[in-house]
Formats: sequence, structure tokens, C-alpha cells
Amino acid sequence: MADTYIDQKGLFERRKERYRVLVCIDGSDESYRGLSYAAQAATNKNSDIVLLYVRPIDQGLRSGGLQVRVARENMLSWGLELPGITYLKRGLEQLISGDELSADWHEKITHTDIEGDPLGDNKIEYTNEVGQTIVLKLKTAATIASGILDQYELGPYDLIILGDSGSWGGWAKSLWDPAVAEKVAMHAPCSVLVARGLERGHGHLLCTDGSERAMRMVKRSATVSNRIGSKLSVMAVARDNEDKAEAQENVDIAVAELKSSGVDVVNAFTRVGNPFEEIIHAGKEYSFIVLGSTGKTGLQRFFLGNVSFKVMEHAKNSVIITR
Amino acid sequence: MVRGFNIPNQRVLAGVGASLKKLITDFSIHFVWEKKWFFIAMVVGIILLSFPTPNGLSREAMIVLSMSIVATILFVTEPIPLPAVALLIILGQVFLLGSSSSDVAKTLWNDSVLFILGSLMLAVGVVKQKLDKRIAWVIVRITGTKTSNICFGISVVSGLLASFIGEHTVAAMMLPVGITLVTLTSDDPKKVRNLAAVLLFSIAYGCSVAGIGTPSGGARNAIMIGYWREFFFDPSNPETQKFLIDYVRWMVFAYPMFLIQLPFVTLVLFLTFKPEYRDLSRAVVKLRAQVESEGPMKAADWISIILFLLVLMGWVFMSDSVGMGTIAILGATAFLISGLVRWEDINSGVNWGVVLLYGAAISLGIEMKETGAAIWVATNFLNLLEPFGASDGFGLWAAVSVLTTAVTNMMSNGAAVAVLGPVVLKMAVVAQESPIIIGFITAISSAFAYLTVVGTPACTIVYASGYLKTTDFLVVGWKMALISIVIMLAAAFLYWPYLV
Repeated sequence: MADTYIDQKGLFERRKERYRVLVCIDGSDESYRGLSYAAQAATNKNSDIVLLYVRPIDQGLRSGGLQVRVARENMLSWGLELPGITYLKRGLEQLISGDELSADWHEKITHTDIEGDPLGDNKIEYTNEVGQTIVLKLKTAATIASGILDQYELGPYDLIILGDSGSWGGWAKSLWDPAVAEKVAMHAPCSVLVARGLERGHGHLLCTDGSERAMRMVKRSATVSNRIGSKLSVMAVARDNEDKAEAQENVDIAVAELKSSGVDVVNAFTRVGNPFEEIIHAGKEYSFIVLGSTGKTGLQRFFLGNVSFKVMEHAKNSVIITR
Repeated sequence: MVRGFNIPNQRVLAGVGASLKKLITDFSIHFVWEKKWFFIAMVVGIILLSFPTPNGLSREAMIVLSMSIVATILFVTEPIPLPAVALLIILGQVFLLGSSSSDVAKTLWNDSVLFILGSLMLAVGVVKQKLDKRIAWVIVRITGTKTSNICFGISVVSGLLASFIGEHTVAAMMLPVGITLVTLTSDDPKKVRNLAAVLLFSIAYGCSVAGIGTPSGGARNAIMIGYWREFFFDPSNPETQKFLIDYVRWMVFAYPMFLIQLPFVTLVLFLTFKPEYRDLSRAVVKLRAQVESEGPMKAADWISIILFLLVLMGWVFMSDSVGMGTIAILGATAFLISGLVRWEDINSGVNWGVVLLYGAAISLGIEMKETGAAIWVATNFLNLLEPFGASDGFGLWAAVSVLTTAVTNMMSNGAAVAVLGPVVLKMAVVAQESPIIIGFITAISSAFAYLTVVGTPACTIVYASGYLKTTDFLVVGWKMALISIVIMLAAAFLYWPYLV
């Protein structure tokens, strides 16, 4: 027992040294566009991509007392695949046929039983000779968001990518049933990318407020930019004209930091106004809006709200929240 | 692994403090937040119980009413597993109402609950017989290869079967048929999205409209029959004999309605989703090859068909004397004895929590009647409806139907009938309407949960295939709900009064 525990811990440590991307696939076009971003970000030999499809645990109560597994087993006996497998396979095809990752892949299949669901979790692991891994994982969980967050617990990730589920709704709606992306972004301990109408090639817009966290975000973006060669721009928002000098200073510091790590800055500017409105407005022209997360816990974030989440909720294009 | 009991040093204490803090934060965020509706429901319950009892309502009735409201909130929002709500109802009856444990236990079981138990076991037995391919083949042999004909054929056959053995059984059985026809037509899910929708909805709605046809079509029918007997039947009064609705009498009321709805299913589906392929000959040829590989019918297949027909005949001819539940249990036992189904399959295929849930919901419904809470709610609700002209006659029927449809789209339809049944039956009494017509309206409207995935068992099962979106249910569901309500009100107006 103790041995496996140590082994698990060792695995966890080894994984920490790699750049691990978790891509949540739900079959939508948006999630595949997010996947192509992942493929670009994870070309390095130290990086792994995990494709995840989360299926809510079947509840026999809703199907009138006859467990849904009876229907599923019947489907399997007809030689039909479970939902999700086709989505994951399509994702794998997209990854392997792309330019970013092409090499010989070796397949390893594992299966974990999950209590309450006979079909449990299934995992197919592909490794190539340079040590990169692609994992296809079919997971069952009580809710989709909790499934994604549980997956983080299994091995730390550097980035979680998900397509926007499109149902962000208003405050009342999110109180009733928070959208998956919103919930993951709120609770995940790592950076989260929400893909939404993702068109690559328009560069990243980094939004800084001069805080330590924002600067860490800028540094990380520099590394990512070095990895995938995207263009970076920097902006800061001042609440009124008095703060404008400070905002300009924040932008200058960020630009200097980026230049010192060898990244060219395309554009650097400040705006005056309500931060989240200005960021959304300026962000329209870029592929991604990149924001630092405030260090608050989930509950605090929920009650206090913050610019990052407001932007994430209302922006029309893709948003990355870095942690 | 025994460790020494050292005196904890400062660092360990600090560590404990930190993890305690993390524990509390995790608790507050994840636990309280995930279970917020449980706490809200409990607070609502406490507030209701601390109110002074309104005029005309006894203390016991107030407690039962509060329990019903809390249970309804929990049924709809599902913060805790639903069987746990059933257990809370049992606990509430003992601790809040002060009923004795044995008395509560007695109200948990009756013929309706026995029927639910038996028919679920029977359902697994039937699905495990793998007769689906043969049924599919029979359908396409009759309908030919035109998409619209196949869809109509699937709805008719699913419906006819589902009206006797329950919609969940047939949905589970026919689901692979629908998906196979889709995947054999094209591998790319995008090219066959609408085709998948018409085929799968033909199964789901075919089963849903059929569930009303006979008492064995769904748990809600059995529950309503149980309520009529419990509320109105008095063995010493021969007048009340008419409240014992038997199998055939139910069919006379409801079966025509199911048959009238059937063509509308295909019509509405084809008007809503335009399938990409008008002809499925490619898929049908491949399906034929699959069926032929099965070989001729085996002895076990014949035995299962004969057993199934015997159960049907038992329901039609014997359920009045021995009870529907007994026949269902008899059928399940016969499947087990003949070795057609293994106990392990039944054990893992039936969600036993449902039996518990319906038992508790019916028990609470009977308490609603016994304590007078049902009649109090009924009177007040009627007063509320009066300004809209919906306190009697046709208006009341429409109001009951809309109310049931709304509730059933939010929770499982059996639970909806169990919760609403006592109130609407008492409303009929107060408004001097026929409890039988109002009861039928409630039981049948509870099948109109076309709008959501959780509404009817057939929808839930078909949705599990992963080929449909939740929005598909909304797009087509409201049309079906509207048509069904109109057909039912027409039946209530033109047909049922001659039968009562």
C-alpha cells in the first residue's frame, strides 16, 4: 500500500516537470479549435496532451428506475460505441494528422472501475519515441465541471482548455446552474483557456494592473509566446485620468519584462474607463485576452467578483486566465 | 502502522491549523455550495413549521404540508440523492408527525409499489432477451426503406410495446435500432444530425405517448389507480365501486388517446427536423445482414415471447382479482425460474431507489389526505383559480393539465403524480367534478414531459446515446406538448363523460 502511495507521489512530481495540457472535448467545433491551440503549445518534447471527455454518471432514477446501463450494454452488444469515444478519436486524428505532432505512437489501454457506473473510466495512452504522451480519457463524474476538476487532482496540469458551452447567462442563471467553463475557471488551480470563436494569428492581448500576479502572468506569457511564436500586445486600464500615469508605468514595466525575455511587443497602450468594458472592447481585435487571476478563493471570487471573471463571462472571444 | 504518541511540536500544530483552515474553506465552498438547495429547503421547512397554523388546518396537516413542500424542492433541485429524500420523508413521519414506525412502514408498500418493483425487474428481463434486432427487421420489412415510413413504423411498434411493458423498457430496447440505422447511413455524425433526431425522437416520443395507454404503461398510472382506491373506495358502499379502475377500463379511457397521438409524432418530427436522407436502403441492407447472422429464432426466444404474452393476459384478465403488482412479480419470477435472465442482471439493471422513492411519495400523499392537508390546499387553490374562471368544468381541467405538465417537466413523472395526486383529487371533490376525469387528466398530463431530458424515462434513455442535444428537446417538445394537451382536453370533453 505504502509503495503505491510513494509511486503515486513520484509520478505526481515527475509530472510537475512536464508541460501538461488538459483539453476538454465535448464534440463541439470550439473544443477542436482549442485542441489545435494545445497542439501548438505542446510541441516541445517535455509536453503532454490529455484529451478528456466527461460523461455525467447515469442516474437510473430519471430513467424510471431502469438503469441507463441496461440501454448502454444493449448498445455495446450491437457493436455501437459509447458517446464520447468518437469525439476523442476525432481529436486524436486531428492531433496526429497535424504538422505539430507526427511520429510513431504506441498505444496502451487502461480501465478503472468507478463506483456506481459499470463502464467506469477508460484511458488510452499514446507515447512516441521522444517521450511525448497523448492520453484519451473517457471519464464519468457527477457533473461535467467536477469531472474536469477531479482530473486535475489526478495529475497537475499547466493549462486546461475548454470550449465555451455557450450558456453563460445572467447572474440568476449562473446561481441556478453555473456553466461548466465558469465553474472550472473559478476552481481550477492552473491556467484556464476558454475557447470562443477562436481564430488564431491575431496575437495575444496581455492585460496588466501592475500587481505581482499580473507580472507573473506576463512572464509566463513570454514563455508560451516563445513556444508557439505568437504576437503579444500589452494594455492597462486606468479608472480615471489621474491614474493614467500609473497605468502607463505598468505597461512599460511589462513591455520591458517581455523584451528582456526576447519577445517582441506589437502594441502597448493604456485606456481610461471601466476596466472590464475597456478590456473587452480592446480585446475584440485579438485572438486571446490574457488575464492574471486574483488570488482569492472560489467563494470570495464568487461574492466579490473581479475583472478577470467579468471579462471571461462577457467577452466575445477567447480568454486565458493564468494562475 | 503504529506511530509513537509524541507531543506535537509547534510546526505540526501550525500544519494542523493550516489544513484545518483549508478543510473549512473546502467545506464552505464545495459542500455548502453544492448542497445549497438542501439547506434552502430545510430553512423553508423550519420557517413553515414555525408559522402559526392557518385557519382550517390542523397541526398535523401543517407538518405534512411543510414536508411536501420541502420534498418537492428537493425533488426538483436534487441536491442530495433522491432516495435520501424518500428516507427523509420516512424519518419526518416518525419524528415530526409522531406516527409509530410500524404504521409508517405499512404505508410504504401497496399494490402500486409492488407493481413498480415487479415491472422494473420484468423490464430488465425483456431487454436482455435481445429481440430488438428481430423487431427492427419486422419493422423495416413492413415499412420499406423510406425514412418517413420507417420513423412511423418505429413509433407505432415502440408505442404498442411500450403501452404494455413501460416506456423505459422499450426505449432501452429500441435505442440501438435507431442508432444503428443512423451509423449505417453515414459515419459522420454531422451529416446525419437531423436523421438521428427524427429516428431517436420517434423512439422516445413513441414510447412517451404510449405510456398512458394501459395501467402497466408507467408507474404514474399505477399510482393514480392506487389513489382512487385509497381516497374514494369504500367497501361498504357499492356506489364507490366505480372508483376501482381495472385494467380494461383504463384502456377504454386512455388507449384511443395514445392511438390518436401516434401519427402526430411523426408529423411533428418531420416538420421540425428535415432529415438529410429520404431513403435508408443502404442501412436497411446492412441491417438485414446483421439480423441474418443471428440465425433462426431459438427456443429461448419463443419461451420469452410466450411468457411475455402470458403476463399481458394476466394483467388484462386477472389484475382485478389479484392485483397488478402480483402479476408483475409473477412475470419477473417466471423469467428468473426459466433462466432467461440472471438475478445479477436484474440486480444491477434496476435502480432500487425508485421503489423506495415512490413508496415514500405515495405514503406522504396518503398522509396529505388523512390529515386534511390535501383538501385545504385544494380549496385554497380553487379560490385562487376562481377569478380566472378555472375553478370548475373545462377551465379546471385545463388548469390541472397545465399544472401537471409544468411540474412533470421538472421532476420524474411518477413523483409528479404522487405529489399532485392527492391535491387534484380533493380539488375535484370540492369543485364537484368527477375525480376520475381529473385523475386521468393528471396521470396523462404527466406524460407530456417532452421538453426536458429528465421529463420522461424514454427521453432520458435516448438522450444517453449522446446523439441529441438538450435544445433539441425544447425545439420539438413544445409542439408535442401542445398537441397532446389539446387531444386530451378534447377526450375529456367529448369522450370521457360518457364513460364515467
